[in-house]
Amino acid sequence: MIEIEQHTLANGLRLVLAPDRTTPVVGVNLWYGVGSRNETTGRTGFAHLFEHMMFQGSAHVPKNGHFHHIERVGGSANATTWFDRTNYYDTVPSHHLDLPLWLESDRMGWMLAAMTDEKLENQRDVVMNERRQRYDNQPYGDWDERMQSLLFPATHPYHHTVIGTMEDIAAATLEDVHEFFATHYLPNNAVISVCGDFDADHAHSRVRRYFDEIPPGPPPPPVPGTATIPFATGETLRTDVHAAVPLPRIYMASRVPPFTTDAFYPGEVVANCLGSGRSSRFYDRLVRTRRARSATCHLLPLTTGVTIFLVIATGFPDTGIDDLEHAVAAEIDDAGTLTEEEVARAVVGAETRTLRELQRVETRADLLSMYATCFGNAARLNDDLSRLRIVTVAEAREWGRSFLHPANRVSVRYIPGGSPTADEPAT
Amino acid sequence: MSAGRSPPQVGAIRPYEFPTIDRRRLSNGMDVRVVSQDTVPIVTAMVVLRAGETAVAAGDSGLAVLTADALEGGTSRFSSTELARALEDVGASFGAATGWDSTTVAVSCHAEHLARAVPLLAEMIRRPAFEEAEFGRYRQQRLATAVQRRMNPSALAVDAHARFVFANGATYGRPLGGIEASLARLGADDARAFAARHYGPAEAAGVIVGNLDPAEAVAVLEEGLGGWQRRVEALPEPSARPRSRKRAVHVVNRPGSVQSQIRVGHVGVDRAVEDYFATIVLNLILGGSFSSRLNLNLRERHGFTYGVTSSFAVRRGPGPFAVSTAVDSAVTAAAVTEIFREIEGIVAAGPNRDEVETARNYLAGVFPLRLETTGQIASRIAGMIVYGLGDDYYRRYRDRVGRVTRADVAAAARRHIRPAELCTVVVGDAGEVAGPLEKLDIGPVHVHDEIGPEAGG
Repeated sequence: MIEIEQHTLANGLRLVLAPDRTTPVVGVNLWYGVGSRNETTGRTGFAHLFEHMMFQGSAHVPKNGHFHHIERVGGSANATTWFDRTNYYDTVPSHHLDLPLWLESDRMGWMLAAMTDEKLENQRDVVMNERRQRYDNQPYGDWDERMQSLLFPATHPYHHTVIGTMEDIAAATLEDVHEFFATHYLPNNAVISVCGDFDADHAHSRVRRYFDEIPPGPPPPPVPGTATIPFATGETLRTDVHAAVPLPRIYMASRVPPFTTDAFYPGEVVANCLGSGRSSRFYDRLVRTRRARSATCHLLPLTTGVTIFLVIATGFPDTGIDDLEHAVAAEIDDAGTLTEEEVARAVVGAETRTLRELQRVETRADLLSMYATCFGNAARLNDDLSRLRIVTVAEAREWGRSFLHPANRVSVRYIPGGSPTADEPAT
Repeated sequence: MSAGRSPPQVGAIRPYEFPTIDRRRLSNGMDVRVVSQDTVPIVTAMVVLRAGETAVAAGDSGLAVLTADALEGGTSRFSSTELARALEDVGASFGAATGWDSTTVAVSCHAEHLARAVPLLAEMIRRPAFEEAEFGRYRQQRLATAVQRRMNPSALAVDAHARFVFANGATYGRPLGGIEASLARLGADDARAFAARHYGPAEAAGVIVGNLDPAEAVAVLEEGLGGWQRRVEALPEPSARPRSRKRAVHVVNRPGSVQSQIRVGHVGVDRAVEDYFATIVLNLILGGSFSSRLNLNLRERHGFTYGVTSSFAVRRGPGPFAVSTAVDSAVTAAAVTEIFREIEGIVAAGPNRDEVETARNYLAGVFPLRLETTGQIASRIAGMIVYGLGDDYYRRYRDRVGRVTRADVAAAARRHIRPAELCTVVVGDAGEVAGPLEKLDIGPVHVHDEIGPEAGG
């Protein structure tokens, strides 16, 4: 049970405080309610590029000053961009609590004064190299591009990836930076969570000191496109990729109810039963029998109308791609036979994992920001596990039957050999 | 500018001590270290075995890793599935990890299940079945991993750099996970023999960290491992002989690559190196942090890369010193030039005072940040055991970091980095990058289509 205090500043910034004096460290975490889903046509990848620009200085902090200040006191800092949000986090020895508050407030309030074309050009190069390193020069690196474009219609905000296309990254301008900042980087579109070794009243007053004077802006515009789509693709859609990959691999995905709905919890149970741990069905029936090198299941906590149920299965060099797909699909189709014992194991596994993750202030602060953003109430983190515990076997089975059937499935299949660019649709 | 817009004042520092380690012995003499914390009800129990890949003969590369993999493949009493269920039924996660110098077998669970999890951990270590069919599965998985490493540009660069930095036959010249030729012929009997030679209580240690009662924790370990008797063989010394004392460039051709994976370095230092603290400060300044010289140059000034790092891999023997990055193919030679410039610069002139102060503060500050979880603390204690660090090692850590001077770091740079011996490995499109690399004064350029287990240089 985490002790939580929640406030909203006059400018709309939501504040979550979770003091815990065990270790003299403090984690500060901000969630801005903006991610790749908010990007407009021709500007894919911009939310992420913008995140890079947030480290290029602000009115009172020089380029790279954020990292320099934080590293100088023995802290760590970073940020990530995802579909629905962008998070920024700093962990420092607790007597330096003011430092991340000052740095984060300076870029929330006074970022644009420090923006130049030269910095944008530099970070466009850095991000293009990030794309090359993590996607273009990596076996299977384009799997999410292929999976998302197959799973979501062009009008859905999850149709394109977080990293974006090279052309769009190259096209970003300083004007885009100004407009994006004015539209999305507002105190009324953010949550700040502070976790760790501090006194709650003291921290509250420090947050107010640094953030109070930042003016709010108009509510951000609605997410472009159509978020609500059926939890079905109509049929199993496939893309076969003959590429320079070492082993055959399948990324299989389905559209399922989002993180913010009650129907998410049975989904989490099913995902854990099928593909998490060494007593899971995938491990027991596919890996132990050598039909797969590995097979795992992931339910992403996305919120925009729908989320992704994802299976990643890798074969051995001589595994046929159809055999691999049939084996995985058979286990998914068999989710209707989950047992009491399996469901119980999935729940206790999730409970212990959560306890383990909560040991780190960085994770604790991030989860609190997540619950505050998605539910408007960070304290929901404390009773989230109880929502998982009440999932019945019948509900888990029913969830599997309703959402994981072949008419709600896409399959991106990597087949070793062939030239890296060949790409032909199958079925 | 309002009052809030100038850098803040610093509050009073709060003390932090590495947790107290309670040292015990089991009735068979096995070393046990317990840390009791009144925090989240999670415990980590770990058995540290001095049975890393260094313990393996050159022809059996991969045997230590495979033996450890196979520990969860069933025991004389439980099948692999039964073992997994018994642990996962109570939410425990478990696994074995093998490095050059040790194998650790660990379980992490809710504190109330410690008495159920530890006996299973002991069972895996004392009575592994090493059944042939199940062992074959782990072998097949490791072989698949070796195939993956060959086609993954960054893994290939790491393996190729080790291969070209160290001499043929040197321990550290091979990949940790084993070469395919030896993996392919290792069997369950080899694993059984390896465990018989290297898994034993006299050289092992138990580590338990978390929200627990020390007496109870020791009692549980005693029940599982107190009756374990076995003598183990002495470990061979790792060989870290360099391939050459001259500069050389090796391009591993990967046609069509849009990026070059670059590694630049040579044989580094071992864990017992006298000026260890000056060396870690040196590495932070050169390439061990975001604000390092290499990162500010290659990423933030030139935009050549998403990131660049340097590292000294410290082991019982000297592992590689390496600068690592991935750059747009077109700027490969330019990036290598800047890497050499930074390496030569820090050797010639040392760091400046501000850099040393920043690095010292960083190390002192991040110390508690990396000791938040039971797993992190257990790993640190395992390191103390494997490398024979004194009981007060982490208590004195911040003091020792704080005493490192500019002159110490400059001396460490001159002693441990040798620009005349740098070996450069580039995994990329040879047609595009080899020509420009030949124009640099960094040694002869060799182009390879693949890296055999004993490729020449």
